[in-house]
Amino acid sequence: MKNPLLEGRQISKSFQGLAAVKQVNLTVFTGEMMGLIGPNGSGKTTLFDCLCCLQPVDRGKIFFKGRNVTQARPNQLARMGLARTFQRIRIYRQMTVLENMLISRQWRGETLLDIFKSSHRQTKIRAKELLEFLLLSHLDREYAGNLSGGQQRLLEIGMALMPDPEIILLDEATSGINPTLINTIKERILILNQQQGKTFLIIEHNINFISDLCSRVCVLHQGEKLAEGTPDEIKTNKAVIEAYFGR
Amino acid sequence: MKLHKNSKKQTEKKSFLKKWGGLILWILLLGFLALYPYTKVSGIQLFSATQVFMLVTLASNWNLIGGMTGYIDFGHTVFFGVGAYMMGILVTQAPLAFAPRLSFWQALPIAGLVALLLAVSLGWVTLRLKGSYFSIAMLGTFAATREIVRILRPLTGGGAGLDLPPVLNRLGEYYFMLAVMAIVVSSIWWIRRSDFGLSLLAIREDEIGAEMRGINTTLHKLVALAIAAFFTGITGAFWAWQNTYIDPDVVFLESRTVEMVMTSMLGGLGTVWGPPLGAVVLYSIQNIVWSNLLNYHLLALGILLIFLVLFMPEGILGKLGDRSSISAIRLIQRWQKRR
Ligand SMILES: Nc1ncnc2c1ncn2[C@@H]1O[C@H](COP(=O)(O)OP(=O)(O)O)[C@@H](O)[C@H]1O
Ligand SMILES: [Mg+2]
Repeated sequence: MKNPLLEGRQISKSFQGLAAVKQVNLTVFTGEMMGLIGPNGSGKTTLFDCLCCLQPVDRGKIFFKGRNVTQARPNQLARMGLARTFQRIRIYRQMTVLENMLISRQWRGETLLDIFKSSHRQTKIRAKELLEFLLLSHLDREYAGNLSGGQQRLLEIGMALMPDPEIILLDEATSGINPTLINTIKERILILNQQQGKTFLIIEHNINFISDLCSRVCVLHQGEKLAEGTPDEIKTNKAVIEAYFGR
Repeated sequence: MKLHKNSKKQTEKKSFLKKWGGLILWILLLGFLALYPYTKVSGIQLFSATQVFMLVTLASNWNLIGGMTGYIDFGHTVFFGVGAYMMGILVTQAPLAFAPRLSFWQALPIAGLVALLLAVSLGWVTLRLKGSYFSIAMLGTFAATREIVRILRPLTGGGAGLDLPPVLNRLGEYYFMLAVMAIVVSSIWWIRRSDFGLSLLAIREDEIGAEMRGINTTLHKLVALAIAAFFTGITGAFWAWQNTYIDPDVVFLESRTVEMVMTSMLGGLGTVWGPPLGAVVLYSIQNIVWSNLLNYHLLALGILLIFLVLFMPEGILGKLGDRSSISAIRLIQRWQKRR
């Protein structure tokens, strides 16, 4: 059952003449875990931003669940079932952990009257369950800014999970985190994928993390797609080795 | 160790007072104000109190879009002016051949709705822009509207203005403005506690993050501006009625916006109780300055503004630790960053 869930076709994006992403094709299939790797500055985050419509693409098209969403607003994509985390953590530091979760709440008003509705008790219960799942439940009343870096990353994952998305894009979710917590994150991602069928697209520097989780990996280099394949294929790919270690 | 582990009871007790303390005080205050006219008060005192209510209302509305949503509106007086002129036109002219002149109560909701419609059409365009563009677009709209009013002489009386029917009912005015203020501040209290309010704060603190979490930021900002504009229009309409005379210069006054901003800043930008507190303090200061240094009124306001930005950018309630407050400096930084 190879069903494309999120698809970028010929995506190009440049900033003031500097091409950050060049004609990249990327397809993520329903239920899989895909890795996106590449040296610093190779355009991984920019590609993420394009895929979730935070940055308008210069050229190319984006499809999500079979619909052309190239012109969509990020909030529309989010409501269709796409969630992401950010390399530079975006949490609400002056708000409590629970409030952060509620901001990313499950139902989302589309119409005028919906935005005045209050979240159901169900939403709060879900927030608390997710916090428990991510080992943060003892901190629900704490200000998010007081959390450690790793806990903040976990909270961001929790916020991404709140609306029960179909696909989650993780941008360096393990950077600056201690190994124990990395294992926790890895474990949780596996559970979400295997028990709940969630799809993941994961940007990582930590190659082991990727090869433990992902069945397919895409390698970016200077904005271009260098290779795509299983982790083992990638590890032995000449062009990839050259890009990472050569000259 | 950064995390302090309060015992659960302590946190809950604190949050009970934080949650309801303001509202309880507010209700007590409203009760007192409802009875105030029955103590021995003069018409002038009632009038002064009415002016304070008006300032509270205007500042609270400005604070909804400026302080809570983080979109600094430099032209908010345009909604006041549109409300005032709608009242003036509808009760003195018969703009449509078939429609008769309206009474105060008939014209009032129309004035509010016209201000709301203006806000929605303006916001539709400007709220998609970066915060600083919104601010400047609103300032431009304000100035342009004043000129349009000046030009539309047959309808608005142009520079000569309009005379409204003279009515002197200080007690009625007092209760009317008290009611509007009560509705506005209580609504904002409710908004702050609702998911809608949480989303507004999320937009202020990080709009991209809010958008990515599925908040329709444009719609939220538009609704906040529309609510603020509606009640500002109502207040303007009332002011026209109370003042019995309007012209472009007394209605479209830059210092009205300055007062809204200063009041919110003084009390605490983005807080529920900041504008009411700020209004009382500012009115008292103004009263002292007015009576002593009539000519230096604006200068004194300017000095106060500089003092606030330099020494108390988070306002009184911000200093007291209200979490929904934002310091003026941070607000302006966000103003630049927002896309
Ligand atoms: N908003 C931006 N403005 C200008 N240049 C940018 C912007 N975002 C990214 N870039 C540039 O695009 C390139 C790719 O960056 P990025 O996508 O962050 O790479 P990665 O996530 O793989 O490290 C870099 O050269 C970076 O400097
Ligand atoms: Mg990156």
